[in-house]
Amino acid sequence: MAKVFKVAIAGEGGQGVQSIAEILAEAANEEGKNALYIPNFGVEQRGGVSIAFVQVSDGDIGAPKFQKADILIPVSPRAVSRTKMYAGKDTVYIYDNSLIQEGEVKDNIVGLQYFDVTPPCPTAEHPNADLPQDLIAGEPKTCSFTKPGPGIDSAEIPEVKKIVAIPANDIAKNELHPRVFNIIILGAVIAATEVLPMDSIKKALETKLGDKFKKNPELRDMNFKALERGYQLIKNAM
Amino acid sequence: MADVSLKGEQRVFMTGNEVCAWAAVAAKADIMYGYPITPQNEIMHYWTRLAPKYGKRFLQTEDEISAGFTTLGGVISGRKAFTATAGPGNVLMQESAGMAEMMRLPIVYIIQQRGGPSTATVIYAQQETTLTTFGGNGEGHRIVYSTATHQELFDYTIKAFNAAWTYRFPTFVLGDGYQAKMREPLTIYDPEEKGIKLVKPEPLLGNTEKPDRQIQHLRNTYNTEDELYEVVMKNQRDWDKMAEEIVEWDAKGCEDAEAIIVTHGIVSRAALTAYDQLRAQGKKVGYFRPITVRPFPGKQLKDAIKGAKKLLVAESAYGQLVKLVQHEIFGSTIEIVPMLRPGVGITTEEILEEYNKL
Repeated sequence: MAKVFKVAIAGEGGQGVQSIAEILAEAANEEGKNALYIPNFGVEQRGGVSIAFVQVSDGDIGAPKFQKADILIPVSPRAVSRTKMYAGKDTVYIYDNSLIQEGEVKDNIVGLQYFDVTPPCPTAEHPNADLPQDLIAGEPKTCSFTKPGPGIDSAEIPEVKKIVAIPANDIAKNELHPRVFNIIILGAVIAATEVLPMDSIKKALETKLGDKFKKNPELRDMNFKALERGYQLIKNAM
Repeated sequence: MADVSLKGEQRVFMTGNEVCAWAAVAAKADIMYGYPITPQNEIMHYWTRLAPKYGKRFLQTEDEISAGFTTLGGVISGRKAFTATAGPGNVLMQESAGMAEMMRLPIVYIIQQRGGPSTATVIYAQQETTLTTFGGNGEGHRIVYSTATHQELFDYTIKAFNAAWTYRFPTFVLGDGYQAKMREPLTIYDPEEKGIKLVKPEPLLGNTEKPDRQIQHLRNTYNTEDELYEVVMKNQRDWDKMAEEIVEWDAKGCEDAEAIIVTHGIVSRAALTAYDQLRAQGKKVGYFRPITVRPFPGKQLKDAIKGAKKLLVAESAYGQLVKLVQHEIFGSTIEIVPMLRPGVGITTEEILEEYNKL
């Protein structure tokens, strides 16, 4: 039986974890592999930790959810405590140890059950006037992470095969752009799974964002840079 | 939504709800009537986007009772009509399903099960199995396909329209919230290009194209006990005859199995993976899955379990599949070991764990 790679990514609504999962799964599908992506969704209309489950394999894929992830990536302090159950002795654990907090989730966030619908940027008081407003029309947007916070309590990190801490949020904010935070994480996933070549992800991004890239080639550079940065972070750490 | 068409065979990667909408287009459905409820909302959303492109119609009604009955109206006037719902919406639609059983109306329902009872969760369950198979105030004269993959959602939605219009019984595609929301690859196609004949709908009442038609009198009210008895017994005979023709199941390794895992719907994916892994370890395990949960493949299950000592019945409900199984194998002394998880998903690892306890 072909190996099935099980990936779980978790974060706050608006951090873009579902987009990462979707791009990953679509790229795997384009590579001719079997891929299965399922978001967790609930009745809540605002806030909450959002988890994405992705499986990639050369063979058949069974149940849509699983008990222990091969790669588990919580990208907010709450996601760390929410996803403990998916960590096992064979899990590679990648978490974001940035000191810049994820955005606050305000009342106008669209419910997770409508993950297909664009949520407004969660930091409603600062509606990202400085950012390209329609980075991806119709797609979930990441928010601007601006507030310094306590980061992740290391006592919360479960016992696993390998732990890698990456300051993706800080890097996005300081070196690239807050909006490409999730693309850094995507690069990290590619490096950690090694089931897909980097080019397939670039192709998937190109498909998804091609129109935007055409209008603004800088966006392409920034996304690809973020992808490479995330990839190298993991490659250097493993 | 994915930019695809039904020309030739196309491998696509989409959610189950989108698959259902495409399948209805492929089956040449004319109209959907619906009322929103999670997790089936996007069937409506995608259908409303596809409808104008393919010359189809859509009507949103004020609730599920209305959605069910307007769909019956569509069917009576000769349109391939369908609706989709979940959970408490499925409860409300049972009244229209009962009328369809009584009047023999070929309505198609797509059910994406959510947690129950009542509002419960919007996520996932197999708790609508009893409701969908026997939810009317009658004998369960209906067809229920329980799907496990996106390919099956597509194939069986097309099949559901054909079965409904061939046999004139209400037909259900029984999916669930996981199937509704997850994405995986499948191949979509135009069934007619593949030589699959699509049964043509025709007006059951008011065929204005044939003024010399026979007078039709569709009834769901009867004045005497004897009259009703005759009609119900005829429907029962028709249903029994049909059952043999349309019953579907999947079985693996049951010939020499000591224990057989019985599941339906999406749980059978976990069961199949568990079966493959256990067989690879040399374990004498079997796999049995009813694809039609109504009519249930009872004879086939009885044959499959002849040499086995135990049945591990796993479901995301508290004994709804177990009840169907017990009824069908009545008289057998095989031990049934239930694995009952109402409203939560079942993974391969959990089935392996239960199997190892046998």
